[in-house]
Amino acid sequence: MPQKRISIRIDGELVSTVEGKTILEAARDAGRRIPSLCHMDGLTDVGACRLCLVDLGGGGRLAPACTTPVQEGQAVITNSPRLLAYRRVILELLLTERNHICSVCVANGNCELQALASALGVTSVRFPYRYPNLPLDLSRDRFVLDQNRCILCTRCVRVCADVEGAHVWDVKGRGIYSRLISDLDQPWASAASCTDCGKCVQSCPTGALAEKGKAVEEMVKQTWQVTNAAERKRAVL
Amino acid sequence: MTPIADIGSFNAAREAGMAKLQPAAPRIGVGMGTCGRGNGAEEVYRAFAEAIEAHGLDIRLAAVGCFGACSEEPLVNVWIPGQPLVILRHVHSADAARILADVHQGRIPPDLAWCKIEEWDHITARIRYGAGFPELPQWSEIPFFHGQKKIVLRNCGLISPDDIDEYIAVGGYQALYKVLIDSRPEMVIEQVKAAKLRGRGGAGYATGLKWEFLAKAKDPSKYIVCNADEGDPGAYMNRNEIESDPHSLLEGMIICGYVTGTQQAIVYVRAEYPLAVHRLTRAVEQAREYGILGPSVLGRGVKFDIELVEGAGAFVCGEETALIASLEGFSGRPRPRPPFPAQKGLDGKPTNINNVETWYNIAPIALKGPAWFTETGSARSAGTKVFSLVGKIRNTGLVEMPLGTPLKTFIYDIGGGGVGECSIKAVQTGGPSGGCIPLEMFDTPVDYETLAQLGSIMGSGGMVVMDENNCMVDIARYFIEFTHSESCGKCVPCRVGLDKALDVLNGFTKGAGNSAQLALLDELGRMIRDTSLCGLGQTAPNPVLTTLRHFRYEFDDHIIARRCRAGVCDSLALSPCENSCPLHMNIPRFLGLLKRGRLEDAFESVILDNPLPASTGRVCQHPCDMRCRRLTMDAAVNMRDVHRFIADSILLSDHFDAMVARVADRKLPPTGKKTAVAGAGPAGLTAAFYLALLGHDVTVFESKREAGGMLRYAIPEYRLPKHVLEREVELIRRMGVKFEFGMPVSSAISLHDLDEQFDAVFLSIGTWKESWVHLPGTELKNVIPALLFLEGVASGSVSQIGRRVAVIGGGNAAVDAARTALRMGADATIVYRRERKEMPAIKEEVDAAEHEGVKLQFLSAPHRIVGDPKGNVRALEIVKTRLGEYDLTGRRKPVPTAEVARVECDAVILAVGETIDLDFARGSGLTLRENGTFVVDRFTLETSRPKFYAGGDVITGASNVSNAMGYGKKAARRMDEALMGVKRFQRLSGGFDASEYEAEPATEIARQRPAELAPAMRVKSDAEVVVGLTRGQASAECGRCLRCDVRA
Amino acid sequence: MTLPTAVTPGKPDPEKCAFIDGVIARSTGRPGSLLGILEAVQENNPRKYLCSSELRYIAAKTNTPLSQIFSVTTFYALFNLEPQGDHTIYICRGTACHARGSRNLLESLRLDLGIKEAPDEGGADKLTLTTPDGKFTIRTVACFGQCALAPVVELDHRICGHLNERALAREVDALRQENHQ
Repeated sequence: MPQKRISIRIDGELVSTVEGKTILEAARDAGRRIPSLCHMDGLTDVGACRLCLVDLGGGGRLAPACTTPVQEGQAVITNSPRLLAYRRVILELLLTERNHICSVCVANGNCELQALASALGVTSVRFPYRYPNLPLDLSRDRFVLDQNRCILCTRCVRVCADVEGAHVWDVKGRGIYSRLISDLDQPWASAASCTDCGKCVQSCPTGALAEKGKAVEEMVKQTWQVTNAAERKRAVL
Repeated sequence: MTPIADIGSFNAAREAGMAKLQPAAPRIGVGMGTCGRGNGAEEVYRAFAEAIEAHGLDIRLAAVGCFGACSEEPLVNVWIPGQPLVILRHVHSADAARILADVHQGRIPPDLAWCKIEEWDHITARIRYGAGFPELPQWSEIPFFHGQKKIVLRNCGLISPDDIDEYIAVGGYQALYKVLIDSRPEMVIEQVKAAKLRGRGGAGYATGLKWEFLAKAKDPSKYIVCNADEGDPGAYMNRNEIESDPHSLLEGMIICGYVTGTQQAIVYVRAEYPLAVHRLTRAVEQAREYGILGPSVLGRGVKFDIELVEGAGAFVCGEETALIASLEGFSGRPRPRPPFPAQKGLDGKPTNINNVETWYNIAPIALKGPAWFTETGSARSAGTKVFSLVGKIRNTGLVEMPLGTPLKTFIYDIGGGGVGECSIKAVQTGGPSGGCIPLEMFDTPVDYETLAQLGSIMGSGGMVVMDENNCMVDIARYFIEFTHSESCGKCVPCRVGLDKALDVLNGFTKGAGNSAQLALLDELGRMIRDTSLCGLGQTAPNPVLTTLRHFRYEFDDHIIARRCRAGVCDSLALSPCENSCPLHMNIPRFLGLLKRGRLEDAFESVILDNPLPASTGRVCQHPCDMRCRRLTMDAAVNMRDVHRFIADSILLSDHFDAMVARVADRKLPPTGKKTAVAGAGPAGLTAAFYLALLGHDVTVFESKREAGGMLRYAIPEYRLPKHVLEREVELIRRMGVKFEFGMPVSSAISLHDLDEQFDAVFLSIGTWKESWVHLPGTELKNVIPALLFLEGVASGSVSQIGRRVAVIGGGNAAVDAARTALRMGADATIVYRRERKEMPAIKEEVDAAEHEGVKLQFLSAPHRIVGDPKGNVRALEIVKTRLGEYDLTGRRKPVPTAEVARVECDAVILAVGETIDLDFARGSGLTLRENGTFVVDRFTLETSRPKFYAGGDVITGASNVSNAMGYGKKAARRMDEALMGVKRFQRLSGGFDASEYEAEPATEIARQRPAELAPAMRVKSDAEVVVGLTRGQASAECGRCLRCDVRA
Repeated sequence: MTLPTAVTPGKPDPEKCAFIDGVIARSTGRPGSLLGILEAVQENNPRKYLCSSELRYIAAKTNTPLSQIFSVTTFYALFNLEPQGDHTIYICRGTACHARGSRNLLESLRLDLGIKEAPDEGGADKLTLTTPDGKFTIRTVACFGQCALAPVVELDHRICGHLNERALAREVDALRQENHQ
């Protein structure tokens, strides 16, 4: 069934797109990047990081671009002083939630959180660092999980469940005490459901999931490979 | 049981139900909701059952639901055929036998009877009970019920929730039957739309529209869900609705199922409500047996069934997408909308979710039509809402009121105002998603829009009342702690933002905060509100944002003064008593020292905290009594009388000189700074004492001949003997304070002179000008203001007042004047326009006055003073008042009636309040408020004129001795800081060895009361009435202290 | 901090398995079944908790990923992964109870039972503390909906309203006596 073409306004500019796309996709097609962290091409969106919030007018209710479908005649504002301020606070919150010392991180230079912080000009934080005492899981041969770098975007959870079909990962607890777990909160190596495919590692936007043996700055994620795999799988279904 | 398949079997069930509801024999219904059970209803039920069995009585017993008046539980209703239904309250199991005996003889025990119901409108039917018991009020005449309109709660507390027949007897399932017979589902949806019924779960979305979406969804399998995951702390109406009347819920859901073409429904109910789960399970079973649920509802060929799912304890599951995730076997993390549940809900099917209470409105609307429904409520919010009125309020319970009813009706008319003597300051609506509405806004009508404008929400209808003992910063912190721990953790603003907000608020309650953090908190709150994924996060900042808006001064108290007035934030206070004391005395320390027999150390502790300990030990309003934690066990520790004992033991003994020397040793080295104090009243003396100890040169200017102010001239000898006060003044003098008597500021020494000669000046000249009432006859002879009278007696210039004296007023001055008149041989009558409990005077003093023979006349407003041609007073004419509407202080306004009475008298004393004589302040550079008080900085006590500080009555208006002294102490501290540039005040009070007063377990003994002169003896002389504690008593009293100052 | 040790695989005893099989058979395919199964299995456990062998068995039988089961059991306050004490005391932390001093009750009870303050991990609201001897477990609950009785404490499923510190201590003493007999 051919999709219906519709037009919307993004930051005042008239953009033609097709019904069924999200605002995030339509904006990207039009060459506009809306910041995001929990979104990854090929995975179901969850609207968790709130960085891609856009203003649809009418009372100031904000909507996540990643899960909001385009509608004929829609006027979307993707950037405003208010949105920028909110995005900065979100980054400040993420940076202080755990431990993000870039200089000692394998993902330094290749980290989506770091890149966004620098793009949005977050150079200092106004909140105290939480620095919870979180473990490093080195049990697996090829990969490592560092909870201190995890931002709970759940990209690993989704890629493992939806693309790989293993569902090794999930999140335990709630609120600020939420933690990424494998199987029954056991060492990763003992999680029998893991296929060792490494898709989670390639999907991780930060240095939380990484390949073993990588030194600072060496961990470059091959996110596109996972996206391709996801799209192949979708095509088959 | 056979299924109901036609009107004949329906009517048969109805008749069976009526036979149970109104049997040939008397029926007793025990309210067995969870609240009732918590108050002992099960024991009551058992006692009835056993007694009926044992005596073979022909009396039917039923377990009914809850009638809503939780504070009167256990509630029992009694019906004797032909008579009204009578509601009994506070019934205990021990009462069962005599109730049965009475009922058996056609009587009702008068001491337990509360009210009667002659006829009840179940909306779906009217039930006539009978007329009789003329002595009992109608239920609607009881303040708690007056104005309530029970639509949702129409059956609660009257029928047995476990019996479907009783439900059918009161018109239950009739609406369903009608809807099925009419077979016009779309018309029912139109009716629900026209009734403007809005979701009762909080957001208030139009129910009819939601139904329409569901009806239009073409998917053959779709779902109806009842959200019974009532999680708002402080709200429990859904629990009661289900426990008391589960079938109304089922009926609403079945009607929705039919009109939207849905066959499957789920009730998602909190596991924390076991009784509700039990009753609902039972109701579903019965409905299935009757064919009301199942393959063919009421034999009409419509399929519908309901499943129960128990939630497992997650507040966020009240959010519809989280509830759906939970039903699907996942953690209850909300999902973004769109897609909306109406399109893709449970298992991807169209799903409609409504709150419990919404469903209860369906049958009445279907039966009586939308026009009937919109008669009740406000224009945009039709119908009623059930509220849970809880917290610091006298009458707690569930009340169903028309939407748009003003808040104050809830709080005062229905709730009966605050608990004990505490005054209400706010009400929290809408739970963790709502906000706090301050007293000043109690005129607000309660509906969706108005509450939203105030930054709160209706929510599920919780109303938690807060009084002066609740700290609003702590309340804000409490709610953030709640949402913080209930946040699912999915989206960043809610997960991390609330954590940071909690951090900041925790800091405030511990005294670690600053104004920058306050601004950050505000910014963070707005950001969390605007960016969170679901309703939990979007509304979680409301409690903070509203308290910041309406209670900013409490935040300032915590951040700037590091004080929590309510005494809740315990890191900011030594102990509740210390926090409540205007002088912040270290009460546990002197109690602990005296307990160990260390009288001199105890005295040193007392005097360093309070330079007039013997006087305040007699006349203080003792706020510490109200805050003592021992109060929750038996009675407060008698702190005031203990420090009086300590003070008397030294001041009036030969240890005096030695102790004075010991205190003087603590003086800091001379600073060379010159300070002046205007007024030698309690505030001035206190400031002078501390300024002297701090090493400053102090001169006190006083217009009168002696020091003491009100203590000397207004408080009578029998309460505070002058020689006691003189010892205290002597001690202050020996600290180096110079007194200049007969030196009124402005006439004898100008402000300009003070400015020239001194480095800092404290103004505390008190309130010596009597307010004059505009009353015909005040020009007569022997009409005298109370202060002038008391001062005249104290100085010896007045020695008689007449034979019969009328005193107008209700404060301490009125009581003092009346008792003084009594001692001069007169008869005295106090005339007060409100009730006794509202008298501002110290309660013990009022009691003492009455014992001595002072007559008290309440609800009496002065009308005119009648004189004779010679200008003598003959009588005081009064207008009787009645209590009218509540004003914003939470007291009912006295309203004059037509009834006039006379108090025969030959003298009238006016004690209606004092104001400041501020002639001198004009053109002085000091800014005044409209009421004539000085404008000062709340935290530093600086006036608008540099170097000049003010405290006591001149900034607050007439208050009391201890408050005035508190200001004197604070002023000395602030003046010293300003003069010296460093904080030195704490240097005065060091040097106590904590091991000398270590905490020991408190003893069980009762509060010790000081001996008093017999009333007959008192009125014959000026002798002090209260003799004081003995050494043994004082020491025993110290052992009662729970030592809240010691933390684990 | 160390990682939890690998869970020893193993099956619950046959009786338990039969019970779990029965519960699953009754509820499969119905909405909310996973919560219902976990609630029933926990209730059936004498120590009122879910042990890892039970979780594994349920996961296998219901075809639910282990990590999802663990996520669910740690998300909802009702589920316990640790054995509970002989007596469970719930302190209500609802608004009305808070306004009427429930925090003091919690503190004094904690001191009375000699339990150290809760560790940071886990969160203040999901407080579950068990005495070392396994006699008492103190828990908090968001709200019992008994607000008119505030402050409210539930001792072994019995609701006690309008409690003060002394009355609570008395109730706990009564439970202790029960223990000795």
